[in-house]
Amino acid sequence: MTVRAQDLLLGLVPLALVIALWQALVSFGYAPATLLPPPGLVFRRLAQQLTTLTFEQDVAATLFRLFAGFLIAVVLGVTIGIAAAASPLINSAVRPVVRVLAPLPKVALYPALLLLLGFGHGSKITLVTADALFPILLSTYYGASTVEQKLVWSALAAGTPPREVLFKVILPAAAPSILTGCRIGLVISCIVVFLAEMITSTDGLGHVLVTAARTFQAVDMFVPLITISLLGLILNGALGALRSYLLRGFPEV
Amino acid sequence: MNVLPSRTEAKAQPVRAPGQATAMIEIDHVSQMFQTSARQDHLALSDISLTIEDGAFVSILGPSGCGKSTLLYIVGGFVSPTQGSARMKGRAITGPGPDRGPVFQEFALFPWKTVLGNVMYGPRQQGVKAAEAEAQCRALIEMVGLKGFEDFYPKELSGGMKQRVALARTLAYHPEVLLMDEPFGALDAHTRTRLQNDLLNIWERDRKTVLFVTHSVEEAVFLSDKVVMMTRSPGRIREIIDIDLPRPRHRSELLLDPRYQKYVVDIERMFDDGPVQGSAL
Repeated sequence: MTVRAQDLLLGLVPLALVIALWQALVSFGYAPATLLPPPGLVFRRLAQQLTTLTFEQDVAATLFRLFAGFLIAVVLGVTIGIAAAASPLINSAVRPVVRVLAPLPKVALYPALLLLLGFGHGSKITLVTADALFPILLSTYYGASTVEQKLVWSALAAGTPPREVLFKVILPAAAPSILTGCRIGLVISCIVVFLAEMITSTDGLGHVLVTAARTFQAVDMFVPLITISLLGLILNGALGALRSYLLRGFPEV
Repeated sequence: MNVLPSRTEAKAQPVRAPGQATAMIEIDHVSQMFQTSARQDHLALSDISLTIEDGAFVSILGPSGCGKSTLLYIVGGFVSPTQGSARMKGRAITGPGPDRGPVFQEFALFPWKTVLGNVMYGPRQQGVKAAEAEAQCRALIEMVGLKGFEDFYPKELSGGMKQRVALARTLAYHPEVLLMDEPFGALDAHTRTRLQNDLLNIWERDRKTVLFVTHSVEEAVFLSDKVVMMTRSPGRIREIIDIDLPRPRHRSELLLDPRYQKYVVDIERMFDDGPVQGSAL
C-alpha cells in the first residue's frame, strides 16, 4: 500500500467514528430521533435533495458567493501582501490598517453590509472577502519578505530588469506561503458564507438550514450542514492538488 | 527584501594613475560600514584597493567575518560601498549586470524551475530565442557533467550537483567575470575536490576573469594566479601573493610539488601570526 493510500485510510477512521457516535446517540436513545435524525436518514435525504432543482439552486448560490468572495480575497491579499513586502512606503501605510482590522470579527460588519449592499450576493461576497483576506495577505507578505536575497541577486545579475523581479522571482518564490494562506482562506470562506446566509438570506445552504430549524424539520436541517462539509472537503482537495502541482519543484512544505 | 542595492552615490575619488590596459576590475579605496542590530556602526571593509587583470584567477582569502564576501558583492553591484568605488573596464559599477556572474555558496537556484529552466533563465532574459537557448544550455549542462538531469528539480539533486547547475546557469549568459562566493564551502571534501578540478578545466578553456572568495588556503593556492589575504574585521588587504605555479594544474602533481606546499605553509603561517594592524598595501 502506498503512503498516500495509507494516509487516506487513516483519515477515514476518525470520520467513521464520528458517524458511528452520531448513530449511537440516536440508537441508544440519548437523543430523540425527531431532533437528531440518524445519519442514514440524513444521507438518504441529501442524495434525494441533490436531484431537486431548488436545492441545486441553493448550492449554486452558496458556491457562487464562496468563489467570488474567495477569489477577490486572493487577488487583493496577494497584491497588497506583495506590494507591502516590496515597498517600505506601502508597508508603513498598510501595516496599521491590517493591525486594526485583522483581529476584528468581520461578521460584526454584516449588519452594516446588509444595509449598504442589500440582501443579495454583494453583502455576502463582501463578508467572505473581508474574512478570507487577512490570512492570505499576511502569509503573502511573510513569504515575499523572506525570499532569499541571493535568488533576487541571481536574477538581477542574469539581466532581469528590477521591476520584473517581482513577477519573475518574488512571486514564484513566495508561492508556498501564498498557497498556504489561500488554503486557510478557503476554509474560512466556507464557514463565513454559510454564516452569512444563516443570519440573513433568501437562498443558499445557510438559509436552507435556518428555514428547516425554524420549522423543526430536523433531517432537512442536517442536509445543508453535510453539504457544506462535503463541498469544503472537495474544494480543499482540489486546492491541495493544485498546490502540489504548482509547488512540484519546492522541497516538501 | 531589497530588490535594488541602495543608490547612495560613492564620493568622488581622486582619479588614480591610469591602471594597466588589461585591468578588468578596479577596486578603489573601498570601505563598507554596516549598522548592527544594536544600531552600532561596524566597519566591515576598510580602504581596500585592488586591481584584477583580465583573465586572472584571483582568490580572496580571509577568516570568516573579514568582509571578503562583501567585497565580492560590491563588485557584483549588489551592495554599494560606503566609500570608494569599484569599476569594471573603467566604468563605475552601479548595479548588477550580466557582465559579472555570481555563484553563491547557497546555490540560490530557482526551486520552481528544472535544471534546464534554471540554466536557460539568463539567456532568455538576454533575449535569446527559446530553441537556441535550449540547445546552448543542454550543451552547457553536459559540460558541467549533468547530462540526463535536465528535467530534474534542484531539490532532487545533491549539493555538488546543485552547484554545477548554479555554475552552468551563470556561464550560460557569458559573463566576463565570475564572482564566486565560497562556492564549494557547503560541500563535502570529496565533492569539493572534484568541483575544484572541474572548475579549473572549464576555466582553462576560456580563461574568464574569476574573483573567488574562500577561507581555504589549499583551495586558494590550487586555483589561483593571485591570492589576496585579508585581515580579520575590519577587513583590510594584508598581503597579495602571486602563485607562480605552472598551468594546467593537476591535483596529483601539484600536491607533490614543493612550491605548492611552500605556498600553503607560508600562507597558513601568516594567518597564525594573528591580525596585522594597518593596511599592508
